[in-house]
Amino acid sequence: MLKKIKADFNLLAILLIPIGIAVNFVGFQVAQILRLPIFLDTIGTILIGVIAGPWVALVAALITNSITAIFNPVYFPYVVTSMAIGVGAGLLSKYGMLSNVYKTIVSGLVITAIAVVVSSPITVIFFGGATGNTSSAITATFLAMGQNIWGAVFSSAIITEIADKVVSVLLVYFVVKSISDRYLSKMKYGHLYMKKRNTKSKKRITHPNLFT
Amino acid sequence: MNQNPILSLHPLTKFYFAIFITVSVIIVPNYLFAYAWFPVLIVIAAMAKVAKSFISFILKTLIILLAIVFLMQVFFYPGEDVIGSWWIFELTNEGLLQGLSLTSRILAIGSAFILFFRIVEIKDFVKALEDIGMPPTGAYIVLSTLQIIPEMRRQSNTIMEAQKTRGVETEGSLIVRAKAFFPTLTPLILSSIASTEERAITLESRAFSAPGKKTSLHKLTKRPIDRVLPWVYVGIIIGLIIWRVFL
Repeated sequence: MLKKIKADFNLLAILLIPIGIAVNFVGFQVAQILRLPIFLDTIGTILIGVIAGPWVALVAALITNSITAIFNPVYFPYVVTSMAIGVGAGLLSKYGMLSNVYKTIVSGLVITAIAVVVSSPITVIFFGGATGNTSSAITATFLAMGQNIWGAVFSSAIITEIADKVVSVLLVYFVVKSISDRYLSKMKYGHLYMKKRNTKSKKRITHPNLFT
Repeated sequence: MNQNPILSLHPLTKFYFAIFITVSVIIVPNYLFAYAWFPVLIVIAAMAKVAKSFISFILKTLIILLAIVFLMQVFFYPGEDVIGSWWIFELTNEGLLQGLSLTSRILAIGSAFILFFRIVEIKDFVKALEDIGMPPTGAYIVLSTLQIIPEMRRQSNTIMEAQKTRGVETEGSLIVRAKAFFPTLTPLILSSIASTEERAITLESRAFSAPGKKTSLHKLTKRPIDRVLPWVYVGIIIGLIIWRVFL
């Protein structure tokens, strides 16, 4: 098991991690510049999960949140959410859930569910239900309507996460479609997304790999 | 060598201190205890000559969060003992206590780590983690990420400007703005991914994945105080646990 995980971290996968983390930050920044109401700050983690597997995505998520913690440590508990999203994206990719647009949208919903289930307890336990972003206002509305704290946090998390995660996963789907076969062939799940596939034997095309 | 008594401590000593504060406010339920850490941290920040940036950072990031968390608890925490009401909201004693204890902990833990990142160089901290067993690859990932982020931010601005000249609209309705997101991010991701192959060749030519022990030009020294302080923290924590359980 441990050996298998270690094999996932070949040099190109390691070099993909900084890129993925930077994409998380830049995605968030571009969403802010365009004044979009969603965060789009897990695109890189999902991308890594999809092409390099769950374990590499887990590490990328951990480092992303650690770097966010340098600027604001208060939100560090959400590292668990990011890691779950990364692992989830990796497993969805493994089982071919990103092979067409419809499956990708379903994957987006699955990742939304993961994000909501993991982040809501953190919001309630660490912050008592509100963290000061847009979803807090929705949570407060639900509470004022008489819902209990768990129901209110869950509902507001679903509302804010669903568009965010579906758009992120769709973006990753389109990006992965445009990555060259040469690069994909060196990635763990890359063979699932290559254009020239050896469909007859269903075997993955392996290129002589310089970087393992 | 840095002569400042706080700054010259080993990065792990500072890190353990932040952990120590976190554990202590979880053990001691009293909110006054957790609030009391804040002035202590300000004093430490002043000794390290970072008090000004530390306080302004707290004002910018933590205060709004604390206010929101506090108000949420005061108005929505279920309780019987009503001490006041406003419009449709009821102010309960339980909510007030819950609000105070939650905010005191967020303030203590949050400001401890904010201070930690003010008084430690990331480079030193990563090196310290490497010394206690993190693989050197991990250190490379963290440090190169910190370099790549500003680089990719600049690149994303360039791409956005370029797409604007091509006629991609970045102003207007939500749909128009959302559509601009894809042509900005896709080229950025693809070009960055393409650059990793070159980077791999460069690193390989410098024996990056060669087995064997790596030497580092950057060295950290542990002084006697860095060996004593962590044990002091552990001692106090054990004392607090005993006090909580038996008294």
